[in-house]
Amino acid sequence: MHKSVLAVARGMAVLGGLVLSALIVITCVSVIGGLLNKLAHGALDWLAPGLARWMLEAGVGPVFGDTEMVEVGVAFVIFCFLPMCQITGGHASVDIFTSKLPDRVNRLIQLVVDLVFAVVLIVIAWRLFEGMQEKLRYNETTYDLQFPIWWSYAASLSAACVAALVGVYVAGARMVEGLSGRVILPRHEGPDG
Amino acid sequence: MSNLEIGIASFPVLMGLIFLRVPIGLAMFLVAVGGLYAITDGWTMALSRLKHETYSTFSSYSFSIIPMFLLMGHFATLGGMSTALFKAAEAWLGHRKGGVAMASVGACAGFGAICGSSLATAATMSQVALPELRRYGYSGGFATATLAAGGTLGILIPPSVVLVIYAILTDQNIAKLFLAAFIPGLLAALGYMITINIYARLHPEAAGARAPVPMAQRIRALLDVWPVLLVFLLVVGGIYLGWFTPTAGAAVGAAGTGLIALAQGGLTWTTLQASFHATARNTAMIFFIILGAAFYNGFLALSQAPQELATWVVGLGLSPWTILVCILLLYLVFGCLMDSLSMILLTIPIFFPIISQLDFGFVELAALQAEAAREVLAAGVPEGMTSEMLGRIEAAIASGQELSREMMRALDINITQARANRIEAEEVAIWFGILVLIVVEVGLITPPVGMNLFVINAMDPKTRITETYRAVMYFVTSDIVRVAILVAFPGITLFLLRWLY
Repeated sequence: MHKSVLAVARGMAVLGGLVLSALIVITCVSVIGGLLNKLAHGALDWLAPGLARWMLEAGVGPVFGDTEMVEVGVAFVIFCFLPMCQITGGHASVDIFTSKLPDRVNRLIQLVVDLVFAVVLIVIAWRLFEGMQEKLRYNETTYDLQFPIWWSYAASLSAACVAALVGVYVAGARMVEGLSGRVILPRHEGPDG
Repeated sequence: MSNLEIGIASFPVLMGLIFLRVPIGLAMFLVAVGGLYAITDGWTMALSRLKHETYSTFSSYSFSIIPMFLLMGHFATLGGMSTALFKAAEAWLGHRKGGVAMASVGACAGFGAICGSSLATAATMSQVALPELRRYGYSGGFATATLAAGGTLGILIPPSVVLVIYAILTDQNIAKLFLAAFIPGLLAALGYMITINIYARLHPEAAGARAPVPMAQRIRALLDVWPVLLVFLLVVGGIYLGWFTPTAGAAVGAAGTGLIALAQGGLTWTTLQASFHATARNTAMIFFIILGAAFYNGFLALSQAPQELATWVVGLGLSPWTILVCILLLYLVFGCLMDSLSMILLTIPIFFPIISQLDFGFVELAALQAEAAREVLAAGVPEGMTSEMLGRIEAAIASGQELSREMMRALDINITQARANRIEAEEVAIWFGILVLIVVEVGLITPPVGMNLFVINAMDPKTRITETYRAVMYFVTSDIVRVAILVAFPGITLFLLRWLY
């Protein structure tokens, strides 16, 4: 069970990473296009007018709506990244005071935290669903690309649902750990970056 | 309870939760939801905010710089840049007293220029530098303390993730903040090297010696760091020259380091996946804190607590410098308990309104006007200006008086009190940001809970943490001296900014 959930979280991380890479590439293309466009209007127009005109006619320039693509894409990326953080216990916390407490108390704290976290992730997904319906109702689109915003909400929602499920799994695993004493999840690790 | 009381009461509740090891982002989120419930007497407000706030926080163009910089750091590691940097620094510095440790700091500074995170810098450089330090007979405590301290340069030297967050929270220009962080970052590296030299003199047994490297080999080692230099110049230079936004700069940097890693053979499908896993973990951690903080700050603003607090502090009539020092001391204490990012997100919305209402006297209207007037006059006396007017203007400049409206019209300049205030506000915001950045970084290497100390110490199992603690105090001292210098002379931080803008 743990292996397959971990595999899902990793898969989501890789999916998010690939989308992030695509956004990086789009942004780079846009930057290079913008620089070439300036060049074609400036120095190149003077040095090689034919080439400059050809470049401008071919539409060399910044990618239209690149900022919007990044905004739409990065929301999905972040939601895809949540499960990985959840299952590896990567959230930043302060354990200087609790480290003095007995192990049983610490386990109890961890259980409560993970239960609340699961609830919060479910609430986030639920509210995102409501938000999506609002965007759908008013048919809102992005400014440049006229891209329906609810599509982006829907993509994020699917990732948020996986995050909520992983959150529930983590909370459930902690309960089983508490009842049976078996160790399923790694102990709280904290951030590493 | 009034809204204000709820706002003020939320802070101890939040700290209590955080000290009970509730993840910081979650704690802020919960307190904000509870606080909104108390203020608006129901769940409606909290729930309706949640509909769009999560999405809008995550879909921010400015914040998308964070996963890009994190990925860039991983690619930089895969591309073997840490090794090249350390080799070059070692070739030039290795033969000095404590030279290999100095080389580690130098390499950390170089790596910090392409990586925006302290822990990542410390951990990456340790893999390369720790074995070398031990090989040349450096004591475990000294070696680990050096690397933990060197790692803090990762955040100080731009690009820096924490600085990006500060810029967004306080509505400042990211490029200007990066520029301002540059000199303090170099000062930090220099300060650490001096510290190493002093330590090596005080504890000669802790540092070994190494034979000098011939010049030809040094130059060859220096040439090997060209990829780092290229990426750094491209990213930072491009942002300053206005070729692209900071986010686009991060994208260019990530793509550049990725290509270098690919060319060096470090980037395969397996390592790429591992980079994505690590980036995912840290990005999600950071964004959950950002989400919690955004929610908590929204609630605080509704309760009016930050504004009231600022008014109260200003009403105390203390000198701005006293207030500043108090705030920095608070950061030092909290920095020992919390990571820098959470601390900035938690405290800036409370402290920044206070700082922005104080008058540090950076900019004087008369001086600003005199400078502009001199510039106009240097280009020749404007047409139609009577010699009587010219005489009055020159007299005003000489005596340091403010120019009248009439004089400014004659000079065709318009520098009002409002403009002077705007410049002052920006300078104070940037200077304060750099100071806060440094003090929270000191927290990363301050015992007993400095996070860098744990990470590095864990990489060297033979060294006890107490040995690291003892040695790192020298670096903490160097940090505190540097903060004092930067507080006393704001010009050090601001001079590049004033010069280039």
